Amino acid sequence: MSSEPNFPMDLSRRQLLQRCGMGVGAMGMYSLLQSEGLLAAPAPDPLAPRPSHFAAKAKSVIWIFVNGGQSQVDTWDYKPELAKRDGQALEGFDRFTGFFANAVGGLMKSPFEFAQHGQCGKWVSSIFPNLARHVDKMAFIHSLHTESNNHSPALFMMNCGLPRMGFPCVGSWATYGLGSVSRNLPAFVVMSDPRGRGLPKGHATNWGAGFLPSIFQGTHFRPQGDPIDNLKRPVEMTTAQQRAQLDLMADLNRLHQGRNPHENELSARIESFELAYRMQSAAPEALDLEKEPEQIRKLYGLDQKHCAHFAAQCLTARRLVERGTRFVQIYSGGMDNQLSWDGHNDIAGNHSGFAQESDQPVAALLEDLAQRGMLKDTLVIWAGEFGRLPVAQKSAKPGRDHNPHAMTAWMAGGGVKGGVSHGATDEVGHKAAVNKVHVNDFHATILHLLGLDHEKLTYRLNGRDFRLTDVAGKVVRPILA
Amino acid sequence: MISSRSLIFAAATALSVASHAAVPPQHAQDMAKGLALFKSDVRAALTQHCLKCHGGEKVKGGLDLATREGLLKGGEEGPSIVLGQSKSSLLYKLITHQSKPAMPDKSPKLPEPLIAKIAQWIDLGAPYDKPLVETGTASAGRGVTEADRQFWSFQPLKKSTAPKVKDTKWPRNDIDRHILAKLEEKKIAPNNAADRRTLLRRVSLDLTGLPPTPAEVEAFVKDTAPDAFAKVVDRLLASPHYGERWGRHWLDLARFAESHGFEQDYDRPHAYHFRDFVIKALNADMPYDQFVKWQIAGDELAPKEPLALMATGFLGAGVFPTQLTEKEFESARYDELDDMAGTLGTAMLGLTIGCARCHDHKFDPIPVRDYYRLVSTFSTTIRSEIQLDIDPVAHKASLAKWEKEHAPFAEALAKFEREQIPARFAQWATNSPVSVKGQEALFVALKKAGSPEKLDEKSRAKLLDLFKTQDAEWKKRNDPAQKSLVAQPKPPKVQVTSEGVKPMKHHADDRGFPHFYKETHFLKRGDANQKQDVVTQSFLQVLMRGGKTETAWKSAPPEGAQTSHRRAGLANWISDTEHGAGHLLARVIVNRLWQHHFGRGLVGTPSDFGAQGERPTHPELLDFLASELIKNGWRLKSLHKLILTSATYEQDAKFDDTKAAKDPQNTLVWRHAPQRLEAEAIRDSILSVSGRLDRTMFGLGTLNEASTRRSVYFFIKRSKLVSAMQLFDAPEPLVGQAARPATVIAPQALLFMNSPQVRLAAKELAATLQKTSSALDAAVPAAYMAALSRAPAKDEMAKAVAFVQAQEAAYKTAGRADAAQLALADFCQALFGLNEFVYVE
Repeated sequence: MSSEPNFPMDLSRRQLLQRCGMGVGAMGMYSLLQSEGLLAAPAPDPLAPRPSHFAAKAKSVIWIFVNGGQSQVDTWDYKPELAKRDGQALEGFDRFTGFFANAVGGLMKSPFEFAQHGQCGKWVSSIFPNLARHVDKMAFIHSLHTESNNHSPALFMMNCGLPRMGFPCVGSWATYGLGSVSRNLPAFVVMSDPRGRGLPKGHATNWGAGFLPSIFQGTHFRPQGDPIDNLKRPVEMTTAQQRAQLDLMADLNRLHQGRNPHENELSARIESFELAYRMQSAAPEALDLEKEPEQIRKLYGLDQKHCAHFAAQCLTARRLVERGTRFVQIYSGGMDNQLSWDGHNDIAGNHSGFAQESDQPVAALLEDLAQRGMLKDTLVIWAGEFGRLPVAQKSAKPGRDHNPHAMTAWMAGGGVKGGVSHGATDEVGHKAAVNKVHVNDFHATILHLLGLDHEKLTYRLNGRDFRLTDVAGKVVRPILA
Repeated sequence: MISSRSLIFAAATALSVASHAAVPPQHAQDMAKGLALFKSDVRAALTQHCLKCHGGEKVKGGLDLATREGLLKGGEEGPSIVLGQSKSSLLYKLITHQSKPAMPDKSPKLPEPLIAKIAQWIDLGAPYDKPLVETGTASAGRGVTEADRQFWSFQPLKKSTAPKVKDTKWPRNDIDRHILAKLEEKKIAPNNAADRRTLLRRVSLDLTGLPPTPAEVEAFVKDTAPDAFAKVVDRLLASPHYGERWGRHWLDLARFAESHGFEQDYDRPHAYHFRDFVIKALNADMPYDQFVKWQIAGDELAPKEPLALMATGFLGAGVFPTQLTEKEFESARYDELDDMAGTLGTAMLGLTIGCARCHDHKFDPIPVRDYYRLVSTFSTTIRSEIQLDIDPVAHKASLAKWEKEHAPFAEALAKFEREQIPARFAQWATNSPVSVKGQEALFVALKKAGSPEKLDEKSRAKLLDLFKTQDAEWKKRNDPAQKSLVAQPKPPKVQVTSEGVKPMKHHADDRGFPHFYKETHFLKRGDANQKQDVVTQSFLQVLMRGGKTETAWKSAPPEGAQTSHRRAGLANWISDTEHGAGHLLARVIVNRLWQHHFGRGLVGTPSDFGAQGERPTHPELLDFLASELIKNGWRLKSLHKLILTSATYEQDAKFDDTKAAKDPQNTLVWRHAPQRLEAEAIRDSILSVSGRLDRTMFGLGTLNEASTRRSVYFFIKRSKLVSAMQLFDAPEPLVGQAARPATVIAPQALLFMNSPQVRLAAKELAATLQKTSSALDAAVPAAYMAALSRAPAKDEMAKAVAFVQAQEAAYKTAGRADAAQLALADFCQALFGLNEFVYVE
């Protein structure tokens, strides 16, 4: 059963054939359809694991979303030229590039010191003392660029492949294509800022399933209170009583099914109650960080006030992935300007603050995954929605405005080469200049690492086969291990 | 490098430069030879092997080979050829596999002779006679031919007589004859009729989304009149819940929501009027053509009808960014136009018009030209909020009521001002009142004058006003009067989509966001930065018959009109059954009716009637139904009745191996396949069965999941979709959706097990049962009847009773005083979770 292609049962098999193109498992399904009648086939579980198009390097993904847009020239894209030309105007600069056309200043050097790290000698900003120790695990893409200079379209672009609403995000495509190994935990989990600073702009659309069946949308863990809906049984009931209730339902359902032996959805639904019953204990167990030994809790920084919240999320991510969750996304920072990496004012204060929240936890995540042997098949991504400009945004404490033309992202583990840098920006870090990587390429690469061909992973809607990468996308092969 | 390349390019395009010193003497001859080679071999080779990725709708690696300009410019890897030097050309290296990536990608290497020809062509100067593909300009692109109009869905409805059938007893109407004829061809006998309670449950959930009450079951089972079922259908069609149920199907297609989406996802607090329009229109059995026309142009066609204005919410229900930069103004507007046209296309015509935005539609005869001409209908159409007296009678009544309530306050104040204020004012003014900050001059003047009468009139009035605000007695009368005044009923605000109206407030207003552009342009590859000619309005040529042009439907706006009446023209065309799109309009809607009644449309792709969509399983039946609809004045209710009173609909759900072997997907409708209820119907059924359902209709919705109103009245905020709806596959309202999935996942089970709402409903049902039938042998059957519309079988009864007794014992052991009620609640909750509760047979 496990080797058979499984697809959402909603879609009749024929519908699926139409909608999935020759996507994952379609050939297998086709033969199934031919050999058995629609209703005589076993009912598929829409989230059951499915084989990838080709051998996958990464089984799961943990994406640290640098929300608000990090400044590449203050983090990973070292530009000595900026210091030299500090204060000079950037010739030919289009003042409508960023969001505030009337606050454009001259070129501005980074307020942070840079030093070389690792075997690869990567120049890293001083705001990442811990992450700097892991540069030999990372593949940097300096030439990543996007299509919008505005948060939500750029967030949608980075998450869903188009700068508009209505399209499924990477995590949804991945779970649609591959299902989930975990039967007791959500396949795709999203964690947002737990410090009350809000959701990323565009809110839940960023982890929405778009037109894919809604079961593929990200499960957003509520930042406060119970993270998942309906996980606790009614207070007055004991476990035994609920078990008895489920047994009664199963009995009555089976009597009913005895009258309808061919309706496979009915037996799938009976199964779903058993799964739900197991989830009730499995999910709290996965989320219980008290189960981690003290040195691990310390490694992530759970004992540090400035980063404990992010440490908890990173550690939760590892525990989820360990238990089979396919895709985890953690947003660093909340919504409005200074509540995220969106450093319009005071780039120094803004970026050092958010780096301090994330540096130790993410470094610990890499180290922890590596020591457990999990990093080789867990892809860790560090990327936001756009970069920032090399010119100052004028302010009492200067900041930097949005820059769609260049940003730096890195990936680690899950089939990428460590200690490499791909592509380059121009000498001041304004625009991607060498080996440019479009967001569609970035997505094609993520899917590739998961064993999915971005051109074959399709879904038919209103007469058209949609893809994450629209009509473009090219795998960034030089960073593949 | 760049200059020499452009020089040669100029030479190639202008023969007069051929004598230029930099150009080799044999240039003209070479170019002529090259051109011949291009026409004979190279064009075909490039078109066949390269164009798919480099110049059609894709330009991989930035390389566009469609034009010579693009070839010379090259892509990210630099120029693709060096003119006159094939061996140094990147293109040559790639196709000879000397360099990577080997081209053509993922295909065998080109044959050597062909490679040689391409090399020779490069050496000769790589001339083109014309681009490999035409791009979307006003004049270019595919045309629409009579052959295109031969495709089944574009043809006029075909009249046919019902086919002859062997079994003349089974059919009740022509639907049955059409269905039976196909079944007989396959030698499949239709299933038996479902039993009465199954049938009643099916039709009740179908039409209203609510299960029948035990009393309704009893009445129907007892009613032996031949028209008993027809009466039930009439009753359900007349129920206000019909519009709530079927309106929701339309709202899926209309991607209806009540917030903008994007950045801040601001609410659209007055958008619910569109939802109310849909429910009201369906309940009133508004002719479907009018239903459609009002959604497109209600403001132009019936400006005095509040419902017609509410209907226009359709066009503006899509997402729109709430924060825009200057660079995005125009592209965002084109996206918005695309959303209007695309949604209209799929919902009303079952055509994927949006596919022609960047290129001619790949499968259907919709040229990019038609797309932009249609889109231009909406050039000046925007969302707005207007004050609208949607219910004049009610408004007048509430105004009268308010006036009555307000009068005593107003009178008391007036009386006080008339009788007491003059004396109080005089007394105050003469007692050297304390000066008021900012009005010192007035008090100086008063002191100087001695008394207010000696002041000029203006100063005196001002002083009087100042006095009043200091007079506690006056305030005592004024405050309630003001409070009452504020409460004066005003007509509600309604979100409409119209022209010449005030646009809804936008973040980018202060950056100069224009909300619309007067003219729409053809866009190259759908890119707002590549504008071409200005467009004039027209419609889809393939659905313009009898030699008509757009002028047949377009009408000039009446004098003084604030709208362009372009939308009225579109509405005329879309509903025109003679020469316009009316027949397709009818086919698409009758198919949707069929789809929701049977779980599958006669056309299996209800929003794609194009070449990529499925063909109808019963084309004559589809046309028959569409013709019936038009004949009956586009009334949907009579069509529902025709379908529901057929023998086809009445069949039971029994599965049969022999029949399934011949028709595994039941496309011939030999049984009634069970369907899972939608999210709304599941929740509403639980509320209804537990007696908690609040049947209040219309008005502003809520995000509160504890609300007990029907689910169609949830407020639809795009960033906060109600999780209980999402869990059971309610779509994200981003693009229109014709059919919902019906997934089965564990979190759904968790909802039945643990949701406070489900638990509360179970307790309420248990409490009600205990009042009427406290003994278990009465309570259990009553619970069955309420939840499943039937009595329990013997084995079910035994299991249920044993369960309740055991639970009760356990609760008692735990010291619960309400053990009996909790145990019965546990049982009721189990019933809600049963397959039989959520699957309609």
